[in-house]
Amino acid sequence: MIIENTIAAFVELGNFKTILLMLVGVAGGLIAGAIPGFTIAMAIVLTLPFTFGMPPSMGLATMVSVLVGGLSGGLMAGILTGIPGTPSSVATTFDGFPMARNGEPGLALGIGVWSSFCGGIISAILLMTLAPHLARVGLEFNPWDYFMLVMFALTITASLSGKNMIKGLIAGAVGLLVRTVGEDEAVGMARFNFGNDALLQGFDFIAVLIGLFAFSQLLNDVRDPKIAKKALTERGVVKVRIEHRRAIVEVLKRWTIVVRSSLIGVFTGILPGAGGSIANILAYDQAKKASKHPEKFGTGIADGIIAPESSNNAVEGGALIILMALGIPGDVTAAVMLGALLIHDIIPSPSFITDEPVLAYSIFIAFFIATFMMIGMQSFMLRVFVLVTRVRMYVLASVILGFCGIGVFALHNVTFDLWTLLWFGILGFVMRHFGFPLAPMILGVVLGNIAELNLARALAITSDLSPFVTRPWSLFFLIIAVFSALFPLYVGQREKKKTWTVFFMPVACFAASIPLFMMGGSARTVLAAIVLCFGFYQLWRRWQNGWRFEAEK
Amino acid sequence: MQRLNRDAIIAIILLAFCGVFFLSSFDIRQPDYGVLMPSTWPRVVIGVLAFLSVLYLIQSTSAGAEAIEDDKYDAEHTRGPGFRGWLGHWRNPLWCFFLFFLYLLSLPILGMLIGGITFVYVLMGVLGGWDGNKPILHAVFAFATIGGMWSLFTFGLGVLLPPGMILGQF
Repeated sequence: MIIENTIAAFVELGNFKTILLMLVGVAGGLIAGAIPGFTIAMAIVLTLPFTFGMPPSMGLATMVSVLVGGLSGGLMAGILTGIPGTPSSVATTFDGFPMARNGEPGLALGIGVWSSFCGGIISAILLMTLAPHLARVGLEFNPWDYFMLVMFALTITASLSGKNMIKGLIAGAVGLLVRTVGEDEAVGMARFNFGNDALLQGFDFIAVLIGLFAFSQLLNDVRDPKIAKKALTERGVVKVRIEHRRAIVEVLKRWTIVVRSSLIGVFTGILPGAGGSIANILAYDQAKKASKHPEKFGTGIADGIIAPESSNNAVEGGALIILMALGIPGDVTAAVMLGALLIHDIIPSPSFITDEPVLAYSIFIAFFIATFMMIGMQSFMLRVFVLVTRVRMYVLASVILGFCGIGVFALHNVTFDLWTLLWFGILGFVMRHFGFPLAPMILGVVLGNIAELNLARALAITSDLSPFVTRPWSLFFLIIAVFSALFPLYVGQREKKKTWTVFFMPVACFAASIPLFMMGGSARTVLAAIVLCFGFYQLWRRWQNGWRFEAEK
Repeated sequence: MQRLNRDAIIAIILLAFCGVFFLSSFDIRQPDYGVLMPSTWPRVVIGVLAFLSVLYLIQSTSAGAEAIEDDKYDAEHTRGPGFRGWLGHWRNPLWCFFLFFLYLLSLPILGMLIGGITFVYVLMGVLGGWDGNKPILHAVFAFATIGGMWSLFTFGLGVLLPPGMILGQF
């Protein structure tokens, strides 16, 4: 079955037009990812309108290509200029820039490119193998479980997206409220349209995404008049040749770092709310801790480039696993990918892979092909990157604002969407200024109707609310939502050495094991026992340390 | 203290926003069928938002002024006094909003091609200046990029973009 679907997907993608579009997508992603101040999500958002008229497999392959290109583009700016192109390549600059300054920019770029390639391939393999299995688990979910899964995705995104958890939760709630505007999907009654007929259709979710993310980001980029008039990078970019052969040898010598960092990336991607910006720092930190020479990190060593670059490319594989298996976007980029699926009338759910196997495998295969294309195009795009760095920020921002207008209108040929773009651009800018994270709001907008529809379905089955706490999956998501909501408080109070924080993780393990035991089956019972034992182990360690954390001793 | 008030004011605005939406939720028609009424879910969300806004208000009034961080731009740039100082501080974003607003208002007349080129050209001039050969360069950029994109959508993807009154006559 897997082989049949894989071959069918290759046939689906194996036409000149799709391959050409994928090449353009990778090239565009590489450049967008390399430009400091532009994000991968923004690049994908701006690609969306172009894919509208394409067949689903072609459109989605193009989007995946932009995604893969964008993930790898950040390293060019980070290594050559010391300014990370995207937040997910911050840690790459720690050793990449020093190595380039030490006279080996070609090797630094080569190591970055090949680490990205390995991370991408490992995550693509995991995507192809794990997503169908996870989708089978997802088939067990009932409306109560789905509702709680959405609540968990929102709380964890809010808790991971900023210093102030309340601001994150407020942003998420505003997103949910925005999604209620217009006719409700269950019975079709008008809500919050304030007498305006245009509002009956609600805010178009792509226009909201582009407004919140791209429009507000561009305004932020040109906010400082002096910076707006500067070229994208004032630092001279030297002419370099990527040293592929030496780089491959260096990467292969450190295959353990590649595998470990890729796994960190995939599992960070699976976790809703945690994206490449967390994964690359986490992988860098783990590589440093595992190294025999941690003092050399930051001076320009290969390990310090391999770890972040393998992990940040692996993240999106993880996010796509959750998106394709459960229909829940793990981060903003995956939320935009969900938007791409929705405009092609595809609703990701646990049955998506079984119902649309060719399309699902086309996405998997596109991820693979795009990773290979990225390697081939990196050297060429490096020259384009040098040209792009000469463009002034205000020129780029003005042109892209113009593109945003055309792109948003082209989606549905509705002028009201352009006004949505403007109002949400202003809202996004104001929210950024006041320190409200945008990721929870975007997830709120994306997941709002999924939450409401599942709540309606649950209540249509029974008006009894007890299944929310008696069904194992629902209880599981409720428990981890509560503990993830409390996590920022725990981290803050742990620094102040509050006694209750010693019990936080063990209690979380005990609580999470209850629904796992309730699920039954041998695998889940064993997993529950492991979680329970881990909780007891932590408790025992803290008891041994006189009810303190080990680090304090 | 000024910074502290800023967050408290946002919390109060959020509470007022919740109030408006809560009152508006009574205008939603309730059908005789269905278990989850159309107003129930919005009211739940408004309730949660109001609760969080109250927590935010308490947090902002109880935390010291130093606990509230300025964003990077505000921290590095001191704002001039009065309304003119505020305008100067927010000059570029305000221009972007204003010009985009004008672009949308003029869309039925200028259409997306002429309106788009004009918007990008004027915005580049306002943000980057009009000195030297910039006006010519900006015109070339605006014409090539927006014209190219308009052509791609119109001829390549077959999307009918608003022609406006001027081009609509042809």
